[in-house]
Amino acid sequence: MKTKLQAGLSLLMMAALALSACAAAPETAGPQVTLSIVYGSEKREWLAPLVAQFNAERHRTAHGAIIVVEAAPMGSVEAVALMLDGQLQPAVWSPASSVYVPVANAEWRKKFGHDLVTGTPNDLVLSPVVIAMWKPMAEALGWPDRALGWADITALAAAAASWETYGYPEWGRFTLGQTYPTFSNSGMVSMLAGVYTGMQKQRDLTLDDIRSSRAAELIAAAQSHITYDGNSTGFLAERMFQGGPAYLSAAVLYENLVVAQEARRLGQRDLLRWTQEQVPIVAIYPKEGTFWTNNPYILVNAPWVTDEQKAAAAAFEHFLLDRPQQLKALELGFRPAEASIPLTAPLDARHGVDVNQPQTTLEVPVADVIRAAQGLWGR
Amino acid sequence: MHRLVNQALFGIYALAVLSVLAAALVSPAFRAAAYAPVRELLLPAPEPVRLTLHYSTEKEAWLEEVLPLFEAARPTVDGRPIVVSLKKMGSREMVLAVLDGAETPDLISPASSLQIAILHDQSPSVFGQSIASPADTVRCRSLLRTPLVVVAWKERAEALWGPSPGDDLWQRLHAAAVDPQGWAVYGHPEWGYLKFGQTNPLTSNSGFQALLLMTYAYLGKTHGLTSADILSDAGYQKWLLDLQGTISEFGSSSGTYMEAMVAFGPSKYDLIAAYESVAIEQAANAIGRYGELRVYYPPTTLWSDHPFCVLNADWVTPEKARAAQVLLDYLASVPAQRIAMLKYGYRPVAAGVSLDEPGSPFTRYAALGLQANVPSTALHIPPGAALNTLLDFWARHVQP
Repeated sequence: MKTKLQAGLSLLMMAALALSACAAAPETAGPQVTLSIVYGSEKREWLAPLVAQFNAERHRTAHGAIIVVEAAPMGSVEAVALMLDGQLQPAVWSPASSVYVPVANAEWRKKFGHDLVTGTPNDLVLSPVVIAMWKPMAEALGWPDRALGWADITALAAAAASWETYGYPEWGRFTLGQTYPTFSNSGMVSMLAGVYTGMQKQRDLTLDDIRSSRAAELIAAAQSHITYDGNSTGFLAERMFQGGPAYLSAAVLYENLVVAQEARRLGQRDLLRWTQEQVPIVAIYPKEGTFWTNNPYILVNAPWVTDEQKAAAAAFEHFLLDRPQQLKALELGFRPAEASIPLTAPLDARHGVDVNQPQTTLEVPVADVIRAAQGLWGR
Repeated sequence: MHRLVNQALFGIYALAVLSVLAAALVSPAFRAAAYAPVRELLLPAPEPVRLTLHYSTEKEAWLEEVLPLFEAARPTVDGRPIVVSLKKMGSREMVLAVLDGAETPDLISPASSLQIAILHDQSPSVFGQSIASPADTVRCRSLLRTPLVVVAWKERAEALWGPSPGDDLWQRLHAAAVDPQGWAVYGHPEWGYLKFGQTNPLTSNSGFQALLLMTYAYLGKTHGLTSADILSDAGYQKWLLDLQGTISEFGSSSGTYMEAMVAFGPSKYDLIAAYESVAIEQAANAIGRYGELRVYYPPTTLWSDHPFCVLNADWVTPEKARAAQVLLDYLASVPAQRIAMLKYGYRPVAAGVSLDEPGSPFTRYAALGLQANVPSTALHIPPGAALNTLLDFWARHVQP
């Protein structure tokens, strides 16, 4: 009797325990979702380590899939062409700026019947387009007391001006570097800036302007005296800094690339590779006006993007816009999109930049004008 | 001996098991740590009343701060907990989404009753009746107030019009924006052309209000705007379109547009039409970035009264409507209103909160040009038909 009672009680206890407090199932590897991203190379130093960090932290979507980010740097304009011909199928595209988006949308509509970019994508980080120049050369031209701009630099490049005139025969002739306008944002906006400046305008660039003989002359002249190097601005910057003043006198780059180079030169982040005296670089903010890069985070509106990838994209975007990641962007020379972060070092004169610049911008032309200008360049 | 030990161990074991069982049944905290199906079998949880609230973006920070406080108080209706989910949208965008059936929120809160007037005008043709009306102050409750102002970088505004633009603010702004010489006329050629900005009136309330203020300013009216005013005056149309044509990038929503003004600085926007509240929210950020902002009150203004409207639609059950009023009672309460004023620069509707309380941004940022008594004459909201005419006109002639 007693034994039966004990046995019964034991069974009851075991049942109660099982029903009361089942431990959660141990975490398994679970499903994964791959988030593929293509982005402009100018943000590689910021984005690549964050991709690694995000992946190591094993973030999950609401459905429990582990998000694995795969990110590839390339030219902003180049990426659209590769997506259109099917060579690339990313879920997220982050070009250097929104300048090319209307053109990309028009091309996308032709193929897919809808826009590539919908809604208003968030900006990740900001940086103005600048003319990066070796500091002694800029000073020889009168900088900073004399404001320089597109017209000055274009005239020097067109004349292949000799640095001997300025007392520096060892520098050879003035050379201006730029990326290809058909592949890269900085090359494209530099081309537009050349047309604006040549036509003495800052806004309202029209199709009639582009179709004029004056615009054709300006673009042809630029092609003859600019050194085109690279499909993406980050890669051009590397080659300029490695090549030294003998390779390029100046290049159209982004402010953050100047800051990053100066930080390396000052030995703040890369002591092991700092082996010889490097020439300082400064950012010249063209007096006629310039363009901004806003690095939009664009969810690609394409049939290959799954709902799970959309969820993953939203999670990664949230991570990138979070304050710690925005502070890292500042450390690398970007102006954070998060407005509550003040613009402090390394955005300073020591690193060749001036946060009170630029003073003005050139108006972003409409898509038809940009396409027409690219067509002129292609001839 | 062994038997005694066995019995003792069994007793301890039984006690432990019974304790776990009791805790799983009784304690919510314990239950959260370990799945306890016994409790679910014996005591099913009440089904919450789920509300969806679509709101205009500039209220995001306030709502995300006060909503957890609301839910922490465990509000209920008929014994059922109230759970609120939020979605931020442009003011006009949220109205259009309801009209075309894309969304079925229980409450909407655009920035202004302008949008509710449009919904009142257009919803009968879709739903057979008006689903929201600015006149129904029970179902539509104004919970925040802020006037439309012109926000500028101080250095640039003072070069443009000195300490104050006076009564012809829009005319002076128009003249400077269309002038091909730009800032050179004002002694600053290095600033290029004057860059004025506003949001897209088709999606965002502040841009819509700016259009109305410009329209009233040109016509010299403060009320009685008609469709004929807009469609038959060629001089007005040219004046408006010339100014709108200088804007190369319209913002999609008011809060993010103000943030962009501060993030990019004066090279991108010299002045924008925006809410006083977003200027306050960004005032400190601006100083850390590019300099001081200044707020200018136009001679006439429109108030964003941030109506929170419980939609009179068939998907809003009587229980949801009661739950919505519990939510609105909280948002109208002194604690929630005090947060809205102190932290986010809204003018409160609760009588127990005043603009000169300690810590008030209206005192802290007085240098911004803020005034407790807004000097602008408040415009009357035109009828829905005139509002729609203005928007249609803009949509047909402006390429955003």
